[in-house]
Amino acid sequence: MPRRRRDTATAKAVVAEAPPRGRRQRSKETYREISVAEFFAKNRELAGFSNPTRALYQTVRELVENALDATDTHSILPVISIRIAYDEELEAKYGNPKKWFRITVEDNGIGVPPTVIANAFGRVLFSSKYVIRQTRGMYGLGVKAAVLYGQMTAGRPVEVVSSMQESDYVYLRRLYIDVSKNEPKIVEKGQWRKKGRWHGTRVTITLEGDWPRARSRIIEYIKRTAVIAPYAEIYFETPDGEIYVFPRLTSKMPAPPKEAKPHPHGIDLDQMKMLIKRSNARTLLQLLSNELQSVGTIMARKFLEEIGLDPNLDPKKLDNDSLVKLVDSMKSYKFRAPKSDHLSPIGEELIKIGLKRMFKPEWVDALTRPPRAYQGHSFIVEVGIAYGGGIEARNEPLLLRYANKIPLLYEEREDVTYKVVSGINWKIYRVDFPAPLVVLVHIASTKIPYKGVGKESISEVPEIESEIRIAVQHVARKLRVYLGKKAREAEARRKIITISKYIPEIARSLAILSKPPTKWNPPSEKDEKILVDALVRLVSRNVEVPKVPGLDHSDPEKIVRSVIENIKLE
Amino acid sequence: MAAPVDKVDLQARRRAAKIIHEKFKGVLKDVLSGKPPRLIIPKRTLANTRFDPEKGILVMGEDVIERELLNMGEARRFMQTLLMASIIYQALIENEYPTIRDLYYRGKHTIVYRDLKGRLREENTWDEQSESDAVIRDVEVFTGLLREDMLILSKEKGKVVGRMKIRSGGDVIDLSKMGHGAYAIESTPDLIEFLEVDAEFVLVVEKDAVFQQLHRAKFWDKYKAILVTGAGQPDRATRRFVRRLNEELGLPIYILTDSDPYGWYIYSVFKVGSIQLSYESERLATPKARFLGVSMTDIFGYRSKKPYLSERERRNFIIKAKDVDIRRAKELMKYSWFQTPKWRRELRIFLQRKAKLEIEALASKGLRFLAEKYIPEKIETGDWTE
Ligand SMILES: Nc1ncnc2c1ncn2[C@@H]1O[C@H](COP(=O)(O)OP(=O)(O)OP(=O)(O)O)[C@@H](O)[C@H]1O
Ligand SMILES: [Mg+2]
Repeated sequence: MPRRRRDTATAKAVVAEAPPRGRRQRSKETYREISVAEFFAKNRELAGFSNPTRALYQTVRELVENALDATDTHSILPVISIRIAYDEELEAKYGNPKKWFRITVEDNGIGVPPTVIANAFGRVLFSSKYVIRQTRGMYGLGVKAAVLYGQMTAGRPVEVVSSMQESDYVYLRRLYIDVSKNEPKIVEKGQWRKKGRWHGTRVTITLEGDWPRARSRIIEYIKRTAVIAPYAEIYFETPDGEIYVFPRLTSKMPAPPKEAKPHPHGIDLDQMKMLIKRSNARTLLQLLSNELQSVGTIMARKFLEEIGLDPNLDPKKLDNDSLVKLVDSMKSYKFRAPKSDHLSPIGEELIKIGLKRMFKPEWVDALTRPPRAYQGHSFIVEVGIAYGGGIEARNEPLLLRYANKIPLLYEEREDVTYKVVSGINWKIYRVDFPAPLVVLVHIASTKIPYKGVGKESISEVPEIESEIRIAVQHVARKLRVYLGKKAREAEARRKIITISKYIPEIARSLAILSKPPTKWNPPSEKDEKILVDALVRLVSRNVEVPKVPGLDHSDPEKIVRSVIENIKLE
Repeated sequence: MAAPVDKVDLQARRRAAKIIHEKFKGVLKDVLSGKPPRLIIPKRTLANTRFDPEKGILVMGEDVIERELLNMGEARRFMQTLLMASIIYQALIENEYPTIRDLYYRGKHTIVYRDLKGRLREENTWDEQSESDAVIRDVEVFTGLLREDMLILSKEKGKVVGRMKIRSGGDVIDLSKMGHGAYAIESTPDLIEFLEVDAEFVLVVEKDAVFQQLHRAKFWDKYKAILVTGAGQPDRATRRFVRRLNEELGLPIYILTDSDPYGWYIYSVFKVGSIQLSYESERLATPKARFLGVSMTDIFGYRSKKPYLSERERRNFIIKAKDVDIRRAKELMKYSWFQTPKWRRELRIFLQRKAKLEIEALASKGLRFLAEKYIPEKIETGDWTE
């Protein structure tokens, strides 16, 4: 990898030239500003691009998430294809086989307006998702971090082909990011008339990666995506030519999320200033009741009176002290909880469908909790639990974490979900590890409190933590009921066998004992048979007869007989 | 086995078989009428053992266990009990004498069955002999018949010589004509018929070696006695035999053991029964048995009684009691049949002196001392402990 080698060389040179410690003079400190693109180019691990393995994984992730945002968020049943291929051209150029990859992700989404493509893919912190709405993307960084990584390692531009639903054209852009200016640098443009009705986006990024190491995580990521989006059709082709297909299982989709107004509990001083600037409200009363959610006129008036602000004041004329007072009092005032209709949970039905396909469990159930809020952001916790069947027994539950329908794979132990699930005493729920247990936890929110921009783990927000706990416990209780029933059935099965198997032996012994000592003659087969029949009748009438697959339950005697039939006594 | 069987034997067989047949009729009736069958068996536990002061023996309490076929935890034992009973029953009818090992082998086989998935599975009726032995004990308590009653053989351990004739298996045996040997008390002591008895008492000695010495000294001839040994812990046949000598012939029974808690326990087994197997006591214990010695007062003297050992002999022969002996003695003190004034005195002296004595110590003073002075003198003067 030429670039990295250069890096180390420079680093060494710097060390060699550095003057001895302590002699460096403070006044020689130099100052300059860097662009946000440069910042992320230099600190790519912040966005999850710390090494070729993670970079390959993260790129797939960013592209797939954008693809899903462009489809299900807009009520389009997603068809997503993912292809990772060795880049033979770069191989030929640099040697180093199996190190250069072209990742192509195509969706049937809404497409990107031609005027926006360059910025969406070439300007860091440019996004359509800076609104209060539940989407996978939220930072305006994802795809650009991948583009940056690609151009820094493989030196290739990103290629975007896109067409909007109503457009007659397909547009092509190939571009780099000008790191120091944080601007797209288009190197190729094209446009064609559409022949069919295709719409969507195809993005190709070329980069350095490590497929053998990233393989299992990427496959896992795609599988887990399929679990949570059983309404999507997903194709995946690996560099080794393996093909994974996850067909659509249902055309039911969660209702698309709506955009929401900010909630008074989640607003800060700056946001309030922006709101006032943008709003055309003439009075404080109008401002609060029009621009915020969960605040009606009556509520707004009462609140303003309580904190001693005139409801008829022009918000644009508020002095700073009053503003601080307003925002500060809002945070603790008992407004209605944030609305949740702009959230888009997956729903119990879909969770169960997804889990069933992936694990073929013997039991599955799910729960979507009612919406709750933390710091003015509404969220919904959903939990699915699958048990037994095709699930492998492990010493811990297999945890599937999701945030806004994104599977989270790394940093499991830092995640609030892990904290909750590992803290649960599963014995209470009749689960004895090692056990075949899968626990899925999905958090949907207008703002997911990620620990980092790599979106891998969620912070321990007490409201979220408690919701997860309640939800897991709720579904686990149902699991306990199931396992209890199952244990009882197993017990009934054990019992019927334990008793029935002795029938022939008992019949034979009893036949002997029943013959009077005087006039003794040994019992005949018929004597024994009468006793066997009597015992079969007795057992089948007095012992709970379990359900046995393949046997007629209406005839319990048959089940008892099945234990001893066609067996010759020794 | 079609061996010629004598009358006593046949009678015993018929009686036992009849009892077994009657006892299991209830189970048969339940099964045929569709009622869940159960065996009600007296509990053979320590907690269900008590001392009956009137009879002077250990007896089983009132506790019973119900062994039900339809109870998962009991079904196997239910099957085993019926299986064992049927084997014993058939052996009785067919004039056989199985040993407990025979019973183990006759009953041991594999039960093949199918689980509900149709897979063949196997299970043995019983695995270890200890398992089938326990089932024999169940059959004993359930039917109220001892294994001797059911003509089950076990290893012979006890021996007898003396002035008496018996009939066994059709033969007449003169117990005074056994040479240096002795008659081995058979495992079916109830089949022995007492013929001529010319003895005045029975001396039961703990140790086989002492038995042999007394036998060679013709002790039993000189003192008109029957000499018995259980060779350590007595087996059931010996105990039953001794009991019959006492009960049917009215002969007093004197027991001679080491002077230590183990010896006292052997006496206790003869007299009231074994604590673990109280159900046998009714037929095996001899509540009138007397402990002849060696007693603590024989060693140390008491009030006017002079000790049989001199100061010097005591120094040479006495063994210091160990902690386990002390513990055992304290255990014995709790039993009501050791609560008589004489036994209390014995145990008190033992705990004070912490001294044990083996009977061989007396013999080493000369066999004649033991045979011609110590034993006869003690019997004559009534110097036993009860
Ligand atoms: N496949 C696509 N279809 C339609 N629009 C897309 C697609 N991929 C990216 N975009 C647009 O490009 C913007 C930038 O994407 P990017 O991944 O950089 O940021 P984001 O998704 O908004 O936030 P995040 O950094 O959290 O991923 C998106 O907001 C979206 O408007
Ligand atoms: Mg994105």
